[in-house]
Amino acid sequence: MTSTSTGGDNAVLEARTPLKTRLHHVWRPFRESSRISRGLIFSGLGLIAAFLLLAFLGPLVYPYDGTQYRAETSPGEFTAFPELAPPSAEHWFGTTKDQFDVLARIIDGATLAFAVMALAVSIAMIIGVTLGLFSGYRGGRLDRIMVTAMDAVYAFPPLVLAIIVSFVLAAYLSPGVPSAAAAVGLVYIPQYFRVVRNHTLSVKEEPFVEAAKSFGARNRTVLGRYVFFNVVQTVPVILTLNAADAILVLASLGFLGYGVQPPTPEWGYDISQAVNDVAAGIWWTALWPGLAIVLLVMALTLVGEGLNDVINPLLRARGKAGRKIKAMPAARRRGRSRRTSDAAEQDDEGLAAKVRDLRVGYRTASGPLWAVDGVSFEIKKGETVALVGESGCGKSSMGRAMLRLMPPGGVVHGQVEIGGTDVVTAPDSEVRKLRGEGVSLMFQEPMTRLNPLERVSDHFVEMIRTHKPKTSREDARAMARDALVQVGIPPTRIDNYPHEFSGGMRQRVMLALSIVLTPRLIVADEPTTALDVIVESQILSLLERLRVEENVGILFITHNLGVVAEACDRVAVMYAGKIVEMGPVDEIFTNPKHPYTRGLVASTISLNTTELRSIGGYPPNLIDPPRGCRFAARCPHVMDHCTQSPPELTEVGPDQRAACFLYPGAGQPVPEGVVAPSGDPQVSGI
Amino acid sequence: MKAGSLGRYIAQRLLLAIPMVFILLTLLFLLLNAAPGDPVTATLGGRLPPEEIAQRKEALGLNDPLYVQYFNYMGNALTGDFGNPVTDPRSVVQIVLDTAPATIELALAAMLVAILLGITVGALSGRLRDTPFDVGGRLFGILIYAAPVFWTGLLAQLYFSVELGWLPSQQRAGGFDAPEPITGFYVFDSIITGDMAALGTVLSHLVLPAVTLGLLLGGVFIRLVRVNMLQTLRSDYVEAARARGLREHVVLFRHAFKTALIPIITIMGLQFAMLIGNAVLTEHTFTWPGLAQALVGFIGARDYAAVQGIVTFIALVIVGVSLLIDIFTGLVDPRVRY
Ligand SMILES: Nc1ncnc2c1ncn2[C@@H]1O[C@H](COP(=O)(O)OP(=O)(O)OP(=O)(O)O)[C@@H](O)[C@H]1O
Ligand code: SF4
Ligand SMILES: [Mg+2]
Repeated sequence: MTSTSTGGDNAVLEARTPLKTRLHHVWRPFRESSRISRGLIFSGLGLIAAFLLLAFLGPLVYPYDGTQYRAETSPGEFTAFPELAPPSAEHWFGTTKDQFDVLARIIDGATLAFAVMALAVSIAMIIGVTLGLFSGYRGGRLDRIMVTAMDAVYAFPPLVLAIIVSFVLAAYLSPGVPSAAAAVGLVYIPQYFRVVRNHTLSVKEEPFVEAAKSFGARNRTVLGRYVFFNVVQTVPVILTLNAADAILVLASLGFLGYGVQPPTPEWGYDISQAVNDVAAGIWWTALWPGLAIVLLVMALTLVGEGLNDVINPLLRARGKAGRKIKAMPAARRRGRSRRTSDAAEQDDEGLAAKVRDLRVGYRTASGPLWAVDGVSFEIKKGETVALVGESGCGKSSMGRAMLRLMPPGGVVHGQVEIGGTDVVTAPDSEVRKLRGEGVSLMFQEPMTRLNPLERVSDHFVEMIRTHKPKTSREDARAMARDALVQVGIPPTRIDNYPHEFSGGMRQRVMLALSIVLTPRLIVADEPTTALDVIVESQILSLLERLRVEENVGILFITHNLGVVAEACDRVAVMYAGKIVEMGPVDEIFTNPKHPYTRGLVASTISLNTTELRSIGGYPPNLIDPPRGCRFAARCPHVMDHCTQSPPELTEVGPDQRAACFLYPGAGQPVPEGVVAPSGDPQVSGI
Repeated sequence: MKAGSLGRYIAQRLLLAIPMVFILLTLLFLLLNAAPGDPVTATLGGRLPPEEIAQRKEALGLNDPLYVQYFNYMGNALTGDFGNPVTDPRSVVQIVLDTAPATIELALAAMLVAILLGITVGALSGRLRDTPFDVGGRLFGILIYAAPVFWTGLLAQLYFSVELGWLPSQQRAGGFDAPEPITGFYVFDSIITGDMAALGTVLSHLVLPAVTLGLLLGGVFIRLVRVNMLQTLRSDYVEAARARGLREHVVLFRHAFKTALIPIITIMGLQFAMLIGNAVLTEHTFTWPGLAQALVGFIGARDYAAVQGIVTFIALVIVGVSLLIDIFTGLVDPRVRY
């Protein structure tokens, strides 16, 4: 199998993973789901259990039958039930005009409902799955016809279809559970068909199935398992929601008189019999069967919706609301933004941004974590600072924090000062004004960042006129054209929609949007990852020009040390949420001080790779970070006290600082006998 | 060039609708002819002398072989002839013309209720995710969905008509109360004739059924709008719009809500089927003299011919509505019409 068949490889892997692991994967989202989703599911399951008890234990316990209108008071002596008696000790839910006991009918109705529901859903699932497998596997014209036919059935009003089916069936079958189930169930076939057919089709086109054939293979088993494991995630949701719907359709059929044979107890039929009672002000004959329907349908829907929440990753909740990140001191959270004092402002005049003790935290399902944990640095105007580090070390989190752009469940503490405003504490309106005009952010993923329904020009005009309300539409368009030209996009394409551009072009449109208002600071989060080398160098030189001509400060987040060397003035090296070393680009490359930086630089130079992987091991878990130096587990120079307390950034050279106990000033005296490593940048321990 | 691509898109949709109509009608024909016997005997058997039944069957072409009947059926349906009922002297087309305005009026009023309810509660639920409002909104949506519309209708009648006596519980405005029929849409008719008294009566009859049906559809919309709002609120371009410093209401309405509407409209097209199903129940509950009520009546009378005609009409309307929805999506969403 070649590298082009990754999807297929995954599919094979997935299909071959032991059932236990797979079930674990199914189970995991459930554990990670929110309390609310689980609450929905459990309350629904509880209600369903109550109904099952009612349906299967009720007939044994309750003295009357649903079609019984008299009771044997003494052997051979029968007393008829009263007509339309209100609820009493004798008849808990009252009686009907036909002298039936309402509660007895509810109980028998529940038994019937479960029977029809189970049969209907099984019919639909078996037929739907079989047809779906067949159609998807066969493909071709037959498949197209079947898909259209299923779509047609799906688009047709389910109730009307069920009525017609039971109307036709009535000629062959006397009304009862099977005919009702057939009428109700046929309606759901298309849903199962669609899911199974799509998965079958998609896996059939995978190269690995082709490959498997040439091994004389068990491709059908592989196919079956693959489809099974994919379908197993969606079918439970469809199934529960169909079951809920089946109860409603059955009751509707009964209400209209096409359900089971009267006087079989059936909730919908019972309600239709109660219509005249209602006009006479009698409530108990209509109320109870209706409540039974509502509660059972609701229970099933709660389970279905809850499952959907759990399974659909997009809707998955953002973690346990219970565990909170330590709250920010109240005084800081509220007050207006702290304006810097005059003296400090003098000092900060030349700064594009000043960051002090920045912390960014998230609540996750497995606990709160600090993705950025106490970071301080400055970016001068007209300076490009690179931020490098392994994936997941908190670079993007820091970039977003510069604009206080937090996803739900994220918090920012500390201080980020841009143009005299503290982004962390400023009121929303002030931060909003700063975004786009004072500081702009180029996102890591360019493809999905433009609104698909808006023209590129709309994006520009909307933004420019938000920040500069006096600008006319025409002027805004002119500015937009200028910006597009700067990034190398023909201004004639200004009115195109995002989907009409390639990925690289969209990235450049994003760049044009970031520069059109000439902000003080641009945060560029891996702006060139998606681009080819030529476009990359164009973008780099554009950023360079902005830096020199417009005096813009740039925070350049990247994995690529080659780009750093070419385009940046200073480098900040981040590891597990902390800056471990910071200094001029030349010093960092020729004379790195922190063992982690050494590892990074060594990996670029010796292995000629952009991956930061020549250091063995993995970064620590941020949910429970080590108490001392976070690099200790991977560090070739680790000392006893490295695991005791965290090292602090300390001066290690001209304008160069590192956080490592190998250097005096990091918070702990260097013990005798240990000499700071020199020269050789090679880090062992791969 | 833009107009051209839109035109091509519409033409494409039209072409796709043809097999859909074809297959749908074929399925209906097969289904309805799966019942043994013929419509005339089924309806009038035993009530008319056998010679007359034979004569009627001949007249309706029921003695022809099945495939001839099939071609006649398809040909007639596509030229707008839906046949003639056995138990009603009017043609199916005439019945549709007589009863559809009542159904459409009810459906539109219900839609209005549903959209107002669904969009406000759904969008707020999505925005205020996991707050008590959201949980309350979701539970309300589920509760409303779970309640059969005929039962809610009965309870509404019990309370508002019987108990409080505020609103009529049955029928459409009729007799002297009804406005002069011009279009058959009573609200519209009473407005253009300036008959305010009639308008009052018409509306008072419309309120209960429309709200009952509207609440039900609204429950579905709440769930739909909420989910789509959640998805777009999390989308990358909404975050990017925030990063450009746009005002929150612009982000919410222009960027999040507008895109969320597209799947909502698409699914609303599918909900059209649900609307019809529930209109059947609502009309039956409130004895509303609409098309759905007529259909139920013909099914009760075992009048196959009428059922076939009306159901065929409904099928064509469904395809038409889904076509309209597709075209609308094409107008709003540039991605689908390349
Ligand atoms: N929305 C979020 N919710 C919870 N945790 C998050 C969220 N965003 C990021 N994290 C966590 O925060 C940590 C830092 O993530 P971040 O995206 O800042 O890393 P990064 O350095 O940009 O990585 P990459 O180089 O892969 O882009 C990671 O452990 C990540 O799992
Ligand atoms: S502090 Fe200790 S463990 Fe951390 S980098 Fe320095 S020597 Fe290694
Ligand atoms: Mg990142």
